[in-house]
Amino acid sequence: MANELKNLKTISLRISGMMCAACVAHNEEALSSLPGVTKAVVNLATGKARVEYDPDKVTLEDMKKAVSDAGYEVVLDNIQLKIGGMSCQACASNIETAVGSLPGVGRVVVNFATGSAGIDYVPDITPLAEIRDTIHELGYDVIEKIEGLDELDRERNARQKEIRRQLINLIISGTLGTVVMIGMLQPYWIFPTFVPEWLNNKIILFFLTTPIVLGPARQFFINSWNGLRHGVTDMNLLYATGIGAAYGIAIINTFWPDAGFGGKNATFYEAAALLTAFIILGRYLEAVTRGRTSEAIRRLMKLQPKRARVIRDNQEMDIPAEEVQLNEVIIVRPGEALPVDGLVIEGYSSIDQSMITGESMPVEKGKGDEVTGGTINKTGAFKFRATRIGKDTALFQIIKLVEDAQTTKAPIQKIADKVAGRFILGVHMLSMVTFLFWFFIGFSLWFTPDSRMMLTPYSLSLVGAFGFSLLVSVTVLVISCPCALGLATPSAIMAGTGKGAEYGILFKGADAMETTARLHAIIFDKTGTLTKGEPSVTDVVALDGNDQEVLHMAAVAEKNSEHPLGSALVSGARGKGIKVEDADDFDAIPGQGVSASIIGHKLLLGNRRLMQEQNIALEKLLPEAERLEYEGKTVMFLAINGAASGMVAVADTLKDTSVQAIRELKRMGIEVIMITGDNQRTAEAIARQVGIDRVLSEVLPEYKAEEVRKLQSEGKIVAMVGDGINDAPALAQADAGIAIGSGTDIAKETGNVILVKDDLLDVVAGIQVAKATLRKIKENLVWAFGYNTLAIPFGMGVLYPFVAQLVSPELAALLMATSSLSVTLNTLRMQGYIPPVKRVRQPNAVSGLESLPAQ
Amino acid sequence: MKNSDLISAFIYTGISLLAAGFFIVATLSAQYSNVDRFGGAAWVFILSMIILMPLIIPAVKKR
Repeated sequence: MANELKNLKTISLRISGMMCAACVAHNEEALSSLPGVTKAVVNLATGKARVEYDPDKVTLEDMKKAVSDAGYEVVLDNIQLKIGGMSCQACASNIETAVGSLPGVGRVVVNFATGSAGIDYVPDITPLAEIRDTIHELGYDVIEKIEGLDELDRERNARQKEIRRQLINLIISGTLGTVVMIGMLQPYWIFPTFVPEWLNNKIILFFLTTPIVLGPARQFFINSWNGLRHGVTDMNLLYATGIGAAYGIAIINTFWPDAGFGGKNATFYEAAALLTAFIILGRYLEAVTRGRTSEAIRRLMKLQPKRARVIRDNQEMDIPAEEVQLNEVIIVRPGEALPVDGLVIEGYSSIDQSMITGESMPVEKGKGDEVTGGTINKTGAFKFRATRIGKDTALFQIIKLVEDAQTTKAPIQKIADKVAGRFILGVHMLSMVTFLFWFFIGFSLWFTPDSRMMLTPYSLSLVGAFGFSLLVSVTVLVISCPCALGLATPSAIMAGTGKGAEYGILFKGADAMETTARLHAIIFDKTGTLTKGEPSVTDVVALDGNDQEVLHMAAVAEKNSEHPLGSALVSGARGKGIKVEDADDFDAIPGQGVSASIIGHKLLLGNRRLMQEQNIALEKLLPEAERLEYEGKTVMFLAINGAASGMVAVADTLKDTSVQAIRELKRMGIEVIMITGDNQRTAEAIARQVGIDRVLSEVLPEYKAEEVRKLQSEGKIVAMVGDGINDAPALAQADAGIAIGSGTDIAKETGNVILVKDDLLDVVAGIQVAKATLRKIKENLVWAFGYNTLAIPFGMGVLYPFVAQLVSPELAALLMATSSLSVTLNTLRMQGYIPPVKRVRQPNAVSGLESLPAQ
Repeated sequence: MKNSDLISAFIYTGISLLAAGFFIVATLSAQYSNVDRFGGAAWVFILSMIILMPLIIPAVKKR
C-alpha cells in the first residue's frame, strides 16, 4: 500500500469544451473511473483537471480517451524547438519516435526542412528538460526555443479565441434575431408605419431564422449530441431541446399552418432566434468575465522576464531567462526585472518586492542578500548568483500554489457541483411532468383563447393541447439552466486566492480558505511569531544614574561571549551609539555569567547567584529587579571593582504589529490563545502586553499538536500560527495551519496558509480575504439557487390560471443569461476588495512598547 | 459500435417507445386531435430518450 502511494503522481490537464457544472461532474466521473486514477478534481473556472494517478496503471492516452469519450478534449501544452544537426528525413523520424515515446508527450512533428519541432506535451509528466535531453542523446542540438507561446500567451489566446467565436455568434444571432423580432411585430402598434409588410412573411422569417439555428446555435446541438452519445447530459441539451422545439413549431406553423400548433400567426421564429441570441449573450459575457477572475495569476505570470543578462566566458550575454543555469552570474540594471532567485554578490540597490510579498516599500539589497525572481530593480545596478532557477524559483512556486489552490474544491462547492451535475436530468424530468400535467389536466381546466406569452405579440388562441404543453415544457428546460450554479463557487475561489496572493497570503487549497473563514479559535506560537524571537535590551538601571556607562561596561564584559544575551547587550549598546571595546581579559562562568577586565577595572556581569558567591550586596537593586522579573525579563547585575553598580534587563520583544493583530482578531470574535514553552510567569507577562487572555505555557514543541487537538475536541475550528518548520506538527494538526514569515521558500512550508511576509497583520488580512471569499460564494449560490427556485415555478406556468400569460422561451433565456451574468459580476467585485486591516495601516501599532518582555 | 452501446441503445429506445405508446393509449380516453396525440407522443419519446440515455449507458457499461 505504501509503495503504491509512493508511485502516485499528480498532473494538471487543460480540458476544453466545458460549459457548466454538469461538465465538471462528467469529466470527474470519466477520469475517476480509470483504473489507476485515485483522485480527479475538475475546475470549471480554470478549465483544468487535477488528476492523481499511478503511472504504472494509467497513461496520458487513457486519460485523453476518457475525457474525449465524455465529449470533451484534453488540450496539451505546445512547445516549438529549433533542432540542429539533422541531415535527412530519417533524423526527423528518429526524433519523432524517441520524443513521441516519452510518457507525457502527445503529438510530435519534426520538420527536417525548417529544422524545427512542434511538440504537444504535459510538463507535469515530461518536463521540457527531459524532451531536450532525449533529443541531445540522439545526437542533435536543441539550439533555441523559437519565440513561441508560453503559458500566459496560450491561456490568453484560448480565451480570446472563445470570446471572438462567441462575439461572431452573438453578432449573427443578435442582428438576425432583432430583424426577426421586428418582422414578427410588424402588424402591431406603430410598426406598420415603418416596417414593410413583407418582413412579416413567414417564409422570409424562416430564411432569416434558419442561419441562426444552423450557425450560432449549431454548437448546442453538436455538444449535446456528443454528450448524449456517451450517456451524459449538459446544459447544451437544455438549449438544444429548447431551440429545436421552438424552431420545429415555427416550421410546422409556416408550412402546415393547420396542424394545430397555433397557426401561421404563431410561428415562434423570434423565440428560436432570440433564445439563441440570449444564450450566446450569456456565453459571451461569461467568457469575457470568466477570464478576468484569474487576473491575479496572469499578473504573477507576467512578472517572469523573458530575457536575462548573464556573464559567460567573461562576456555579458543576453539569453532567454529559462536558459539561466544554477550559480550563473546575472547582471541587473535599474528598471529591469530579476529573471531568477539568487544572492547578491556585487553592487547595491533597492528592489520593489511588492508583487511577491505585498510590501509597498522597496527593500534595500546589498552583497549577501537574497533576491527574488520577478521583482523589479529600482535604483542601482548589481550582480547576483542564481540560486534557484526554473520551477524552484519563488515566483514559480507561488504561481503553482495559487493555480493548484484554484483547482481544488471547497466543501461547499462539492455540494453545489453534485446538485448541478444531477440538475439537468432533473430538469428534463420536470419538463416531462410539466408537459404531461398541462396536456392531460391543465389545458382543459384553465386554457383560454385570449392567452398570451409574455413579451410576444400574438395570442395563443389557435394553440392546441400539445402546442401549449410543449411551449411550457420548453420554457421549463430553458429557464432551469443551472449555468450560474456552476460558476458560483469556483469563480469566487479564483478571485479570493488571487486576492490573497496580491498581499503575500497564499492559500494552499479552497478547503483551507473555507476553514480559515470559519475559524473559532487561533493559537499563536510565541517566540518568533508574536515576538521577534531574539532578545534585546529593554531596561538599564544605574545606581549612580549613569545608564550609558552601565550598558557600556555590560557590553564590554559580554563582547567575547557566545551567549545570545551577550550579543543582545552588544547590539543594544551599539544601537545607542556606544563604542564597545574589547575586554583585556574575559572568563565565562557557566550558569552564572561572565567576568572581564578593562583598563584596570574588574567587571562582573551575571545573575544573583554570581553576585552572592562574590559577596556583592544587591539590596538597592533588588526591588526594581523583582519588578522586571515579574514582567518576564531576564535581569543581569553588573559589579565594577567588587561593588554593584547597576543592572541590565533583556527580553524578547513583540513584533510591531502583534498588538494590533490580536486586537483585530478579538474584534472579529475569534478566541486568541498563546502557546509557548516558557514558564507561566514569563508567558503571562507577554500575553498581558499583547492582549491575549488564554495562555498555554510550558508546552514542549512535541506537545503543541496535542494542545491543538484538545481545542478541536471542544468542537472548535482551530488555526495555528507559527513557524512553518519548527511548528510543523501543530500546523498539520490544526484545521488551518498558518505558516508565517516563510519568505520565498514556499515549498518547504507545512501550513495550508502561507504568509510570505513576517507580519501578523497578514493573519488578520488572510482571515478577512477568506471570509470575503466565502461571503461571495454564499451570495453567488443564493443568486444561482434563488434564480432557479423562483424561475422554475413561473416557467411551469403557475401564474397562468390567474393571468392567462406564459413565460415565453426567449424571456426564459434572457432571465437565465441575467442570472449567470449577475454571478460573474458579483465575483468581479472581489477585484476591488481590500482587506479592512490593510485599508488604514497604522505606521507603528506598538510604538513605545519596544521594551515588552518575553523571554 | 460496442456490444454495451448496442444493449444500451436497445434498452433506452425500447423504454422510450413504450412511454410514447402509453402516452398514445392515454390520449384515447379523451378527444385529442392527431397532432396532439402523435406530436405529444414524439415529445414524450424525445424527453424519455434524453432522460434514459445518461442513466442506462453508464449502468450497462458498469455491468
